[in-house]
Amino acid sequence: MADQPLLLEGSGLKKRYGGVVALSDVSIRLAPGEILGLVGPNGAGKTTLVDCISGTQSANSGVLTLKGARLSGPASRRAKLGLARTFQYPQLAQDLTVGENLLLGRVAMQHGSWWRMILQSIRGTFWVGRSSDATVVEAIAEELQITRLDRLAGDLTLGEQRLLEVGRALGQDPVVLLLDEPFAGSDANGVAGIIDVIRTVQRRGHGIILVDHNVDLVSSLVDRIMLLDRGQVVFDGDPAQCIASPEMQRVYFGAAALEAGADSEIRPDDEVLRHVP
Amino acid sequence: MTMNGSSSPAPVEVAPPPRHRPPWPSGLQANGSLGLGVLAAIGLLVWVGVNGYKQTLLVTAATYALIALGMYVPFVLAGSLSLAYGAYASIGGYAVALISTETGLPLWFGWLIGPVIAAVAAVVLGLATRRLSGFYLVAVTLLFSEAFQNYLSNASFTGGNAGLASFRSLDVFGWHPSNEQLIIASAAVVCVVAFLLNRLRLSPWGIVVRSMREVPSAVEAAGTRVPILNLVALAMGAGIGALAGALFTQMSGSIQPNTFTLNLVFLAIFMPIIGGTGTPWGAVLGALIVVELTLNLPSLHTSGTLLVSLGVLLIMLVAPRGVLGYLDTGRKELMRALTPTKGTDG
Repeated sequence: MADQPLLLEGSGLKKRYGGVVALSDVSIRLAPGEILGLVGPNGAGKTTLVDCISGTQSANSGVLTLKGARLSGPASRRAKLGLARTFQYPQLAQDLTVGENLLLGRVAMQHGSWWRMILQSIRGTFWVGRSSDATVVEAIAEELQITRLDRLAGDLTLGEQRLLEVGRALGQDPVVLLLDEPFAGSDANGVAGIIDVIRTVQRRGHGIILVDHNVDLVSSLVDRIMLLDRGQVVFDGDPAQCIASPEMQRVYFGAAALEAGADSEIRPDDEVLRHVP
Repeated sequence: MTMNGSSSPAPVEVAPPPRHRPPWPSGLQANGSLGLGVLAAIGLLVWVGVNGYKQTLLVTAATYALIALGMYVPFVLAGSLSLAYGAYASIGGYAVALISTETGLPLWFGWLIGPVIAAVAAVVLGLATRRLSGFYLVAVTLLFSEAFQNYLSNASFTGGNAGLASFRSLDVFGWHPSNEQLIIASAAVVCVVAFLLNRLRLSPWGIVVRSMREVPSAVEAAGTRVPILNLVALAMGAGIGALAGALFTQMSGSIQPNTFTLNLVFLAIFMPIIGGTGTPWGAVLGALIVVELTLNLPSLHTSGTLLVSLGVLLIMLVAPRGVLGYLDTGRKELMRALTPTKGTDG
């Protein structure tokens, strides 16, 4: 894996909102088939980093490449290069059915420029047929065990909505999948389903960046963990080492916990870590 | 499909019939809507007959319906409200009028060039407000609409306040349709546009546009340039609005700067809400209802608009999905009541 070229590479990423620095000089790298966990307390900059990679927000400075190609411009352009994402708060068209929401991920890229939009509108008006996209989408639904595609997306539970968002992202055939808190609000079934998907994507040699608060769950899944604190990467490496690292204890439990040192009752497998905010 | 392993007896798997579309469309289903629309149009045409007043009424209704259908694309589907439809319809109307009176070009050229110019105008207005919220699109299109009407009144080539009249009769590649044929054609144009828009609504393009209204960031992240798609939707709506103007001008034989007023545009906003936003046919039905209430009921003639306003309030309370949505719910309830419960063997 080591001599393989990186899938995603970013350096010097900075983002500020007014006077607040959300990201200061963050570097990130992702190898093919690698799962990278992004953890950190609220406001650490996890979602901002995902937004700046996907193009939902534009970084103030920094360079990003995907398979050697420069990642820049609006999110739609980056999607065409192979980036797909889910959102911390599921972004689903509530008035559309589950099937239509899934199909969006499949067909949105066919509307990448104004002339393609016009061609697509003419095609949609005059040519009605069951497209191969619908078949692909139904296969994704089956894989994720999403049933009853004629339900409205607004009627789904939060866990189902997250699963649906993952399915929509899969429809894009992503090279790199960005998952922003995919487990929050999911029941055991939903978590298992999403883990299955993550493993499948990994087997295809694609990369995944996983953001979550649940450090235990993340560390059991990922190959590498990046710990963010106040817009900076304070740890980047092996998940087990990350949990045991002083940075982890400092970030999540403050300096006091660190000073308590080895006598501290806080252990990686402690109940408290499983519910880190 | 069954993942919960319920205890009901295994249902006999019946191969689903071949479908043309994925069996999961939202909104009202498209099945049979064209048939119903055409039936209603034929009924209306029979009712109109050769009565001149009723013919005018039908042409007005067709014009309203086309304007409402034009607004349907950016407003109901894409979520962008433009109020320049008076201007767009005027552009369509004056294109036909000017081609007819000032040039020797065939009249269909006027029908073609009007929607194109209106679409370009819509793109320019959309570009001007692309970085601002939807409210500014409303404001800018309103301003444009009023300024354009003012311009039409003062420009010399448009005939000023008197407008333009006495056009050549329509010549479609050597065929000179009679007035009755044109009336039928007006109804047919509305049916065709509504039918095509309904297919468009359910197509991948429609899915992307409707998603854009609710979750633009997700649509952008999935690969569609949202600001540009918004412009395309606005342009398409403006083109249909210009078609409405061309139709009315051709049929009425004259056009003035105040033919298409803001009042009409405000009514057109509510036509889909009255008829039902789930399908473009709702906009057509809403247009018919508005014409009936504001023009055809002599007892209500002066209070028609007031009645429409009250009707809109009532419909929003009782049937938020409009008349067609209400009927569709009723139909589904009826089907459920009439269909024997599945899953009970024998």
